[in-house]
Amino acid sequence: MSKAPDVILLVDDDAAVRNALKFSLEMEGFSVRLYPTPEALLAETDLPADGCLVIDYRMPEIDGLELVERLRNRGVALPVLLISGRVTRSLRDRASGLGIRDVLEKPLSDLVGSIRRVLDDGP
Amino acid sequence: MSEPSIALALEAAEARLRSILQTVPDAMIIIDERGRIESLSTTAERLFGYRAEEACGHNVSLLMPSPYREQHDAYIGRYLETGERRIIGIGRIVVGQRKDGTTFPMHLTVGELRAGDRHHFTGFIRDLTDQQLTEGRLKELQSEVTHMSRFTALGEMASTLAHEINQPLTAISNYLKGSRRLLERMEGENVEMLRDAVSKAADQALRAGQIIRRLREFVARGESERRIESLPKLIEDASTLALVGTREHGIAVTFRLDPDADLVLADRIQIQQVLVNLMRNAIDVMSEGGAVRRLDIATAGGPDEQVEVTVADTGSGLAPEVARQLFQPFVTTKRKGMGLGLSICRTIVEAHGGKIWVESPPEGGTIFHFTLRAAPHDRENEDA
Repeated sequence: MSKAPDVILLVDDDAAVRNALKFSLEMEGFSVRLYPTPEALLAETDLPADGCLVIDYRMPEIDGLELVERLRNRGVALPVLLISGRVTRSLRDRASGLGIRDVLEKPLSDLVGSIRRVLDDGP
Repeated sequence: MSEPSIALALEAAEARLRSILQTVPDAMIIIDERGRIESLSTTAERLFGYRAEEACGHNVSLLMPSPYREQHDAYIGRYLETGERRIIGIGRIVVGQRKDGTTFPMHLTVGELRAGDRHHFTGFIRDLTDQQLTEGRLKELQSEVTHMSRFTALGEMASTLAHEINQPLTAISNYLKGSRRLLERMEGENVEMLRDAVSKAADQALRAGQIIRRLREFVARGESERRIESLPKLIEDASTLALVGTREHGIAVTFRLDPDADLVLADRIQIQQVLVNLMRNAIDVMSEGGAVRRLDIATAGGPDEQVEVTVADTGSGLAPEVARQLFQPFVTTKRKGMGLGLSICRTIVEAHGGKIWVESPPEGGTIFHFTLRAAPHDRENEDA
């Protein structure tokens, strides 16, 4: 019997990006949950013990870094990949300060590779 | 000279001074070495809104806003002690305060007059509020800042464009990648051709992303230069610029500068641009109406080597749905303008490793906050 697929939790405010990533990640064998806003993820009561969070940086109200900070404060230790339309050095610095595994610039040439690396490394 | 002729000579000198003070077109103020006002020209009375008899005898700091008001005695003291000229004979653009509390940019030149062992200082003042600003530091500052604004606006447009186009490109390339995976599981005559075509399409989406990245890097190249700067000085320069032409709006400006928030690591022009932008926004909002019109600029030293700057106005405040999107590009509440100002402010502040946010307190008005990194302390001095 094969093991249950790894869960990817994706937060992005752009519907087309969410749906496209869900499609491509599911084709790679992942189970994907979508959240259109940071609030929607924060309201999630059933977070998996394993898996990977993929969070967009630039969102209205709460940005990706702030979301990660709030999750960490709640004791959520899932590994995080930050994605952004624009990656600067200062964004990388701040992200690594929060223990974010990697910051990837859209259009995301190798998201699957990064997710696999993070899952292999464990939390 | 005999005593009566001395008296006559004194009287004549005083009469000459009075007539000069009444007719000199510039605002002119004479103070003694302790900073007390001795005389005011008629133009100075009009400019500041004080009659000579009201102002004479008071410290000249009466005519300037905080924090200069508190520092002025020390400026004179330092000059008398060291002889080091920072304004005398040089001329500077500074901020003046009228009797009604409103402030305005002015050009100040100071001359020194020694009688025996006593010093007097004569200040010549030109009101820059309504003047065509064609000279000196103000022009220089202004052109630097406008040049930078245009430049940053271009960079911001390229960057926004990149961000916006990267979203659909991300969707395209991921739909294509998923499709290719799907096709790998299919069989049939045309499947291989289709797989090949889908792979090539995905590559092209990534190529478009690279072109956009190059465009953005080209526009943003090497324009930021960070040095150790005095935050109070940055604020002084920026407020001088921002206050130009605000006279008719009757806005009172207060500065509350924390001595612990002094040196910061900043690109001077860029941070001035942020400050000017926030102040002009505040002034624009308040000139639309409201009984109380107060612009408050404050600094505070914070933990983690951060300093915080706030720019607060007493305008109509922000609707929550506007506040939420305020820093997004192309969002504006103004009839004119592209809605790039605050988006640029955010880009600049974030590039400096800081944060910018807005607060709309229940009692009204709007408060913008941003943080900057404090310049590292001089270790030698600290250890000593």
